[in-house]
Amino acid sequence: MTRILQRLLDPLARRLELRIVALFLGLLLMVQLASFVAIRHSIDENARTQIATELRTGENVLRRLLSQNAQNLTEAARLLAQDFGFRSAIAGGDQLTLVDALENQAARIGASAALFTDARRRLVASTLSDPKPVLSLVQAEASGSAANLHDTPVRVLDGQPFQLVTVPVKAPQLIGHVSMGFPLSADLPRDMEDLSSLKMALIARAPGGPWKVLPIGARADELQSLATELHSASVSQNVSLAGENDSVRIVRLGGDATHEIAAALLRSIDQAVAPYRQLQLTLLVITLIGVVVFGIGSFVTARSITRPIKALSQSAERLGAGDYSTPMQVNSRDEVHELARSFESMRTGMQQREAQILRLAYWDSLTGLPNRAQFIDLLKARIERARSGGEPCSVLMLDLDRFKHVNDVLGHAFGDRLLCQIAQRLNDGVLREQDVVARLGGDEFAVCLPQADDETAGMIAQRLRRSLEQPVMLDDHAVDVSAGVGIATFPAHGGDAEVLLGRAEMAMYAAKSNQSGVMHYDSGLDSSSQESLSLLSELRQAVDHDQLRLYLQPKIALCSGLVLGAEALVRWQHPTRGLVPPMRFIPFAEQTGFIRVLTGWMIERCSARYRHLQGQGLELKFSINLSTRDLLDQDLPAKLEKMLTHGGVDPKALCLEITESAIMDDPQRALQTLQRLHGMGLRLSIDDFGTGYSSLAYLKRLPLHELKIDQSFVKAMEHDRADLKIVRSTIDLAHNLGLSVVAEGVENAQTWALLQALHCDEAQGYYMARPMPEDQFAGWVDGWASPHERLRTEFAELVV
Amino acid sequence: MPGASDTRRLRALLVAALAVAGTITAQAAPLTVTVSDDSGKPLADAVVAVLVKGAHTMAAPGASAQISQKDRQFHAQITAIQTGTPVLFPNFDTVRHHVYSFSPVQKFELKLYAGTPAAPVVFDKPGVAVLGCNIHDRMNAWVVVVDTPVFAKTDAAGHATLDVPPGEHLLSSWHARLPDPMVFIDQPLKMGSAAMPVGVTLALAPPT
Repeated sequence: MTRILQRLLDPLARRLELRIVALFLGLLLMVQLASFVAIRHSIDENARTQIATELRTGENVLRRLLSQNAQNLTEAARLLAQDFGFRSAIAGGDQLTLVDALENQAARIGASAALFTDARRRLVASTLSDPKPVLSLVQAEASGSAANLHDTPVRVLDGQPFQLVTVPVKAPQLIGHVSMGFPLSADLPRDMEDLSSLKMALIARAPGGPWKVLPIGARADELQSLATELHSASVSQNVSLAGENDSVRIVRLGGDATHEIAAALLRSIDQAVAPYRQLQLTLLVITLIGVVVFGIGSFVTARSITRPIKALSQSAERLGAGDYSTPMQVNSRDEVHELARSFESMRTGMQQREAQILRLAYWDSLTGLPNRAQFIDLLKARIERARSGGEPCSVLMLDLDRFKHVNDVLGHAFGDRLLCQIAQRLNDGVLREQDVVARLGGDEFAVCLPQADDETAGMIAQRLRRSLEQPVMLDDHAVDVSAGVGIATFPAHGGDAEVLLGRAEMAMYAAKSNQSGVMHYDSGLDSSSQESLSLLSELRQAVDHDQLRLYLQPKIALCSGLVLGAEALVRWQHPTRGLVPPMRFIPFAEQTGFIRVLTGWMIERCSARYRHLQGQGLELKFSINLSTRDLLDQDLPAKLEKMLTHGGVDPKALCLEITESAIMDDPQRALQTLQRLHGMGLRLSIDDFGTGYSSLAYLKRLPLHELKIDQSFVKAMEHDRADLKIVRSTIDLAHNLGLSVVAEGVENAQTWALLQALHCDEAQGYYMARPMPEDQFAGWVDGWASPHERLRTEFAELVV
Repeated sequence: MPGASDTRRLRALLVAALAVAGTITAQAAPLTVTVSDDSGKPLADAVVAVLVKGAHTMAAPGASAQISQKDRQFHAQITAIQTGTPVLFPNFDTVRHHVYSFSPVQKFELKLYAGTPAAPVVFDKPGVAVLGCNIHDRMNAWVVVVDTPVFAKTDAAGHATLDVPPGEHLLSSWHARLPDPMVFIDQPLKMGSAAMPVGVTLALAPPT
């Protein structure tokens, strides 16, 4: 029982059960209560009606009893009145005989008084010792002062109820009256109780006064207390006697000026209602049994509904918490089972969809590599670990060169397959166990390198680049793949995954734009950084406030040792930072377009220096670097022409150096610009030759005069025979195409000698001179002693 | 209705009475008495009698009267006689009657008889007797006994005619519905030699 109670009272688990049980029981109780009230009402009504009827009937019985008494009395009196002997005695005036006859007749019927009065109601004979009271009653009756006999057959005699009849005596004319009477006795209440089961008391009062119970009848004492209970006003009323409820009806029997006499008929309400009480008790028992049965029944029903629902609810909670793996288990064969099946299909659907969403959200569908979102998460985790471990963590970002071109030419499907191949290659072998490759989108890939500092990351980046060098074979196409790689390292370049990735991207773009292959992030690359913004305004100031310096590095003819000209370079004499190296601001200027201002400045400065040196008798050529942006500037030729004309400079004295990559960004436009510059008589040179991807077929079409071998080959040729071969072939190639060849990075006599032996035309490098302020140049030329004769003999054997 | 023999006897009686009266006063004149109640309505069956001074009060010998019983009724119901007149009670019914009188004028009892009882009842005192039958309560009759031969019963119009000699007399009147029917209502009568009318008004008890 307590278990059931506990369950009922557990509000969370059993709320529905409780409600069902409460509903059932409530309805049952309501119906029972309604019927109980209705039955009780009708019982009360019935009992009241029944009691009222019984009391009314009782009154009728009482009146009939009284009139029957009167009738008997009348008969007896009439009998006497008609007796010839009696009449003879009256006629004879025989007083004693008359009294005897009266007594005799009175004794026969139990009358207590009998008297004879003459025609004028004067007393003639009587059985009473004091006939006066009765006589006055008789006389009052005759005078009509008393009410009709049948209405009130009861008179008052000395305050007691008294029945009296009077009949005439005729002989044959009226000669007198016989009157007979008796006080109401205990017989009357007894007869009433026998006939009607009503209790009866005779009561009397002075008019308007309180009732008194007359000592007549066996129950007179018992009903003594009735007097105090009665309210004089009403005929019917309820009283409580000795703890029993009675309904009372007062029947007025008669009265005179001083007395009023009535009968009180009593019916016990409790007795009348007793059979109904038993009925109500039975009904109550039935109700209680019904409540118990309904309670158990509805509880069982509710349990059978709520148990599976609760199981479902728990399953749904598991679903809500993200547990899609536990199947629904509901043991039920009804609608709840249907619901459970729906839940189950919902669960599997959710499970599948979540897996799919996860895949879409965190994996690249093409390559099967993690996508950007997952990579960012991973990177965050790695950074956190690195932060707590106090170790570095690097991120590489790499972007394929010319992928757009591949897509355009060979189609997107091909491009996609190429990307898959690349992904596979990036993942294969080159990376360490803990490194993770992801595809960020398009042809962009990223690699997370835990526990890798700047240097390690740079090594891995180079390895990656090398692994991509092998052409990818797809459908008989051999596709050359290369990529720009940017590196950013935690904590030096940022403490946040997004920032780090962004900076790696920036470094990557820088690497692509300057063909360096791999670049580490530098704040100078970041045009959006606070440093860059201030750098840009400082650069403007540098131009305006004449902080830039023109440096010149001489170009020497290898065959003659003569100074032919110089490459113009820019240096920034910052008022507070001192001399700023070109790498700190040139790439930035290229990115922002400020390079055009710098180029203009260079041309002007070179023009001025050219005229100055010309004035000293030095006829020298000046080489100026053109950036991609310069090359793409449609107005460049016009601006140059204007400046040259203005500066009075022979266009042939100016050589414009252009990198391969600058041309390859937009070959068509580059070609147009170059042709126009060529048309103006300017000399054109390919800078850093050998690092780019320009095809010879394309180079052939350019209006070039000069080819500059990249210093990486020149520096290495002394030890590396392959580089030596590249240099030699390049020189041969250039000469075959009718171009003169310049070698950069000449740092020692051996290199000089080699180049001389290879018939390179011009040389440039620290061996001869570092770049120097322009105003020192003339002095340097004066002091220059060419080593060419000496070296030609010393190193001749090297060139085989 | 009195029978033919009754009438004859009565006439003989009257003739005899007149003969006696004639001996006293030869010039008697008719007196017409009209009896009415206090509302002026004429009363039938009222008895009027004139007590003539000097006349015989007792009936002459041989005078008689008869009250028969037929159809459980007395006939006649009101009978006036002179004092001393014997009355016969012949019973013409098949049932017996028990005629009685408790009246002080003449108390008698004729116990259950049929036919005519042998002895008549002689009413020898003036007054009123009420007769009843002990068998049949509804039967009753009145016998009005007067001390004079001058008496009569009023007809339906309340008239009665008497031959009365001149002089001062007493006129007695009676009716069954008098408040005390045992007593006569007397009034003085002054009779001249000529015929004269006299009105008598009787206050009656309300009818029962």
